[in-house]
Amino acid sequence: MIGYGLPHFPMTRASSVDDSSGVVARLIGVLGSERVHTHPLDLLVFGKDAGVTPGEAAVVVLPESTDEVAAVVRVATAAGVPVVARGAGTGLAGGAVPTSACVLVVLTRMNEIFEVDEVGRTAWVGAGLVNEALSNAVADHGLLFAPDPASQQTATIGGNVGTNAGGPHCLAEGSTIAHVLGMEVVTGDGEVMMVGGAAPDPLGYDLRGLFVGSEGTLGIVTRVLVRLVEVPPQLETMLISFVDVSDAARAVSEVIAEGVVPAALELMDGPMIEAVENFVHAGLPVGPGAVLLAEVSGHSVGVAADAALVREIAVLNGATEIRVARDEDDRALLWKGRKAAFGAIAQSAPDYYLNDTVVPRTRFVDVLDEIYAIAERYELRLLNLIHAGDGNFHPIVSYDAAEAGMTEKVIDATHEMVRAAVAAGGTLSGEHGIGIEKRDLMPEVFSADDLDAQERIRDAFDPLRLLNPGKVLPEGSRCLDRPPT
Amino acid sequence: MTWRTEHPPTTEDLNSCIDCGLCLSACPTYSITGDETASPRGRIAAMRAVDRGTVALDNRFAQIVDSCLQCLACETVCPSLVPFGTLMEGARAEVAAHRPTPTTAAKRFIFGRLIASRRALMFLSWLLVIAQRLGITGVLPGRASKAKAIRTIPIPVSATAGRQWDPQGEPIGTVGFLSGCVMDHWYSEVHVAVIDLLTRAGYRVVAPKQQTCCGAIAAHEGAAQHARRMAQRNVEAFAGFDTIIVDSAGCSAHMKDYAHWTEDGADLAGRIADANQVIAKLIADGKLPTITERRGQIAIQDPCHLRHAQGITLQPRDILRAAGYEVVETDPTGTCCGAAGAYQLSHPQVSERLGRRKAAQVAATDLDRVASANPGCEMQLLSYLGNSTTVEHPIEIYRNELNRNQEST
Repeated sequence: MIGYGLPHFPMTRASSVDDSSGVVARLIGVLGSERVHTHPLDLLVFGKDAGVTPGEAAVVVLPESTDEVAAVVRVATAAGVPVVARGAGTGLAGGAVPTSACVLVVLTRMNEIFEVDEVGRTAWVGAGLVNEALSNAVADHGLLFAPDPASQQTATIGGNVGTNAGGPHCLAEGSTIAHVLGMEVVTGDGEVMMVGGAAPDPLGYDLRGLFVGSEGTLGIVTRVLVRLVEVPPQLETMLISFVDVSDAARAVSEVIAEGVVPAALELMDGPMIEAVENFVHAGLPVGPGAVLLAEVSGHSVGVAADAALVREIAVLNGATEIRVARDEDDRALLWKGRKAAFGAIAQSAPDYYLNDTVVPRTRFVDVLDEIYAIAERYELRLLNLIHAGDGNFHPIVSYDAAEAGMTEKVIDATHEMVRAAVAAGGTLSGEHGIGIEKRDLMPEVFSADDLDAQERIRDAFDPLRLLNPGKVLPEGSRCLDRPPT
Repeated sequence: MTWRTEHPPTTEDLNSCIDCGLCLSACPTYSITGDETASPRGRIAAMRAVDRGTVALDNRFAQIVDSCLQCLACETVCPSLVPFGTLMEGARAEVAAHRPTPTTAAKRFIFGRLIASRRALMFLSWLLVIAQRLGITGVLPGRASKAKAIRTIPIPVSATAGRQWDPQGEPIGTVGFLSGCVMDHWYSEVHVAVIDLLTRAGYRVVAPKQQTCCGAIAAHEGAAQHARRMAQRNVEAFAGFDTIIVDSAGCSAHMKDYAHWTEDGADLAGRIADANQVIAKLIADGKLPTITERRGQIAIQDPCHLRHAQGITLQPRDILRAAGYEVVETDPTGTCCGAAGAYQLSHPQVSERLGRRKAAQVAATDLDRVASANPGCEMQLLSYLGNSTTVEHPIEIYRNELNRNQEST
């Protein structure tokens, strides 16, 4: 039990919010005044995630139980006020950023571990539990929660569910969807519903696939029954240096083609390595070129064989240096570099735009070349961070938004990168979700009929359209909304 | 927004944060509230809003800024290398300048003036000595009850400022010594241990008379002008010393940051060495002995201003091992114990919550001896662990073992 139980810091409650609807007063009635924020500064501070788009809620609430969330949703929707769910705010696509005057439901205080079944390898946890805290809590049982987004030290399980989060180790283990058995969900009308359950294959329609990755548009997930996996008995982590990023990319394609599924296969290019090394001091090879962080796991014989094959392929593709992690500390240091990479970008420029496209692994090298060409054409500084094993690109443009016309230029360039990926048979998002950032790119991959079908699903769960409006699906996705063509 | 002080949070520093949020779980106040406004990223967002003129510097801003412990655990985990401590000190100074209240005026007087007055400190220390001897400190109510966790001050109350000590062996050089403020009178045993070891290794130790309090608490509490004045005075007092030894983590961390506080502060900052660094080096170089007898286990607690502000974690452990101890870790993340200087008085509830958590971590080791290199942490640990536990500075422990060893041979 990790619960908080501590009241908030002393708080000024400004009456600057127009509460003619009485929503704030009723929310205070439900939660008490300490857990209802309406001061303009609070609204602003909670109005952004780790992405680039700011927003502002009308009121921020911090419930501590499913019943409280349900009561909050009932108060809000009865007054026609939208409800947006938020975890720790590490999302990169604006999924938890309010697009209208809404009630922002912050779930971080719901961080309990209710039950761990170490034999059945499952756990019931609060949606606000931090991803890494779960793995730490079950480490004594030799278990862990496999999805490991780079933000796992802060990100919540609820947020992982909302975006179907991935992470380096999802190459072998699958993303969040493969690790969620059941969910307790508060629906748009404030009812509590159970989706899935302990049975691996639920009867009737399996709605888990709908809810995982729905970004709070179908309901608010308050408790999650997660699957835990065994901590691998043996690991080998290697940092492989290449003179040229294409060599590294080719090595990745060949490793996968050989049928090896490493636990993780991460690629960082020269500019990215430089930013990371400034922070971790892990002795990364700063300069042009690229590094591949490869990890193989399993039982000792298999690990040795797979690691040897990875090294052989790397050398054949021009690897200049292979550093094998000596021990757990060394391994942790190499991973710290990878996981901190996104945050380290700020060292080069105050703003950044991060993409999350996925391309088929066979087109990996071509698309990477094209992305570099686009950045060059727009004269933009590009850093690349790639979940190479599953073709999930994170091209990051670092820039200064204060320069006139810069933001528009960056958006044009990154959209061009997305189109290049889509043209090669790829898609918009590997793990960050659609949110606001990629919403308007949805027609690039979905037809009008596809979008209409998705909007109907949304309507089935949220007929009032008050759950996280303006996210995932572009405005006018319903055929009815569209002017006749 | 027009900031009013000389060193407000700068737009450039504020922009160095890209909101990735990796700092949140490292932040003690976020960890007990789950509230973004009690997190480093949230505090930066609030400062940015004021800097951009989006919101006014109001009471709510002051609360958000004041809720911070300034433990700098966020700096340790920040991949963007955001200078959070500097931002927070700037924000504190701005709050004090914008919202002069009786509390800020009192803080300015206590941490800016009183603390820098040797006579006042000596007088207060004697009052404390009397109170301790009469047993009054044990029965004080409310926040004053903290006083019972202060070590029993030896009589007569000692003071190092203005004194110097000759090397006991082959001379190897001269070092300056920061006497500090309350450290000088209340934790004189630590000073005695450090000075004794330095002179044994061959150093001549000089504690210049002109020196004053390092100014850390003034800086943390928004008394920026006083902090600047104290930094300036120490720059002058320590001119001519190649190395200045500081044995309180909060002071050494602050003095290494003097470049921010006074124009010629960078030079002095480069010459500051925390005592843990120096003693560990002397042991490693064989200038001080390593005890080979086993003394059993000891728990260790890392002061934030050693671990997070200076990245010093190996040296105190090396010193304890050289004293013959097996070091038992208590907290892998080095989360603040909640003392945080004046914070324990301004936010007693949060401080207690963190103090109890830390005490539970120490209690889990089943050891009744703890090494901690900062007086604030020592007081906090004693407050929540009770009298059956002893808390000492690693250097003090090493020196006692050295003496014990010599007596027995």
